[in-house]
Amino acid sequence: MIFTIWKKEVESYFSSPLAYVIIGLFSLISGVIFFNLLVTYSDGILAIPAHMAQEISFVDEVVVRLFANINFLFLFFIPLITMKSFSEEKKLQTLDVYWLGGVPEWKLILAKNLAAFTLIFAMILMTSVYPLVIWGVGIRDFSILGASYLSILLNAAAYISLGIFCSTLTHNQIVAALLAILGVMGMWMITWGSHLHSNYLLAEIFAYVGISSHFERVLRGLIGTQDIIYYLSFIFMFNFMAVKSLGKRNW
Amino acid sequence: MDKILVVDSVSKEYPGRMAVKNASFAVTAGSIHGFLGPNGAGKSTTMKMIAGLLPVSSGQIELFGKPIEKQKISELIGMLPENPPLYFDMTVRNYIEYVARLHQQKDIKNRVEKIIADLSLEDVADRLIGNLSKGYKQRVGLAQALVYDAPFIILDEPTNGLDPQSVVELREFIKKLAEQKTILFSSHILSEVEQLCDEITIIHQGEVKASGPIKEIQKMFKQGLVLTVGVPSGQKLPDLSPFGEVQTELLSQNAGEDIYQLIFSNEKDIRGELGRYFYSKGIDLLTLSLDSPELEDIFLQMTEKP
Repeated sequence: MIFTIWKKEVESYFSSPLAYVIIGLFSLISGVIFFNLLVTYSDGILAIPAHMAQEISFVDEVVVRLFANINFLFLFFIPLITMKSFSEEKKLQTLDVYWLGGVPEWKLILAKNLAAFTLIFAMILMTSVYPLVIWGVGIRDFSILGASYLSILLNAAAYISLGIFCSTLTHNQIVAALLAILGVMGMWMITWGSHLHSNYLLAEIFAYVGISSHFERVLRGLIGTQDIIYYLSFIFMFNFMAVKSLGKRNW
Repeated sequence: MDKILVVDSVSKEYPGRMAVKNASFAVTAGSIHGFLGPNGAGKSTTMKMIAGLLPVSSGQIELFGKPIEKQKISELIGMLPENPPLYFDMTVRNYIEYVARLHQQKDIKNRVEKIIADLSLEDVADRLIGNLSKGYKQRVGLAQALVYDAPFIILDEPTNGLDPQSVVELREFIKKLAEQKTILFSSHILSEVEQLCDEITIIHQGEVKASGPIKEIQKMFKQGLVLTVGVPSGQKLPDLSPFGEVQTELLSQNAGEDIYQLIFSNEKDIRGELGRYFYSKGIDLLTLSLDSPELEDIFLQMTEKP
């Protein structure tokens, strides 16, 4: 049943122009960013004496920055993708098809998560030409590339669960998208609390609850159990709330 | 006869408003049960509760002898909601197939083709639902309710907003459908219910006002004998006191005839005697007919604002 709904959702994404516009726009913007990072990096290398050029890390200057930027792009792209997943169905009252079919809420939500993730995956797949370009110009330092991809995939999954939850709250797609953008920003901003010097414990809590600290660690290949637990509980929590929110239809 | 559905003192409360108050009625197996009421009477709410789309606030709904929450009703009830749950970006065939898959049916291809043929959807089977006319959309909605072959079908105002041709076709289809299934059918169009249904439930402001076979409900509201008589214009009605208590009302005056409605408190059919009586008084009787109360009268009587 999950597969049936997933398939229908993916087909629905790719039958509308939105998916292509989003993938195209994302590829364009991330391409420009990648190009700029590459130019800045090579200019930097040329501008300093050769023995110091070794000090400038390609990973830090290009790879990490690129993926951090992609994470920033997600702030807008993922809510655009998830905004209609439930709000549109609520507006058109199409969810009855699932309730009449006895489909449990969690299966529907899981299928919608997987469908949105599929679209994001296709979007991220477009960036796979960058490593090939880098390889082509003779740079072989790919040590953390796998971890970097893992980090944005994890973030995408987390943002999707948040976006889908927001979409269950309203009949209005725009409201759903705005809520999701605010939600993602909120998860970033919590991390700022970790700079709190007066209270160490509180700062640690902020660092753990915010998504950025985990993202940065995974991005640099320093993934730990606490990060895995964090992402899993993040995704579980928002999907759980989405299940509850859909169950609330029966007030 | 067996009751397939028993709604027992069901209420639905929304914050600050009772949508359905203590509603009780039953649907007989194999019947077309009309669910009649003005807009906003609580028809859709009640139907949604029966289909499990809304929980009841109190009371119980039994389907095939078991409470609905204790069985898998998704295979027992097919429903066409007031707004059919259609995906406008899917083709008719894909959509029907999708619904069949959600209901975990076997032999999906054949089922889908059969329902497309039954509902004469062949010509539009590969078109997007969003591009279809309202009549076709309604048929696709019906296909959605029927593709998994549930024995009990709920249709919420299925003919609402359709053109006359589609309405006639849909009614014919519903009649045919009733040969195999039990149907609960809501409408605010009285003639439609009178034409299609064997039994009815009248609901108004969330309360069930009457429920049962149409004939019985008509009998219930028969206030004695109702006759229509016509006499030539200018002639007066004779003194009718020998026939007991009677109310007379002039209904119309046209083409040289005055038409009266006579309501006798006694139910005995006195048409023969009345004819002879008029003749003996020298009054020509141009029209004499027996009236049974129309469903419309009953309906209007029940749904009058208090």
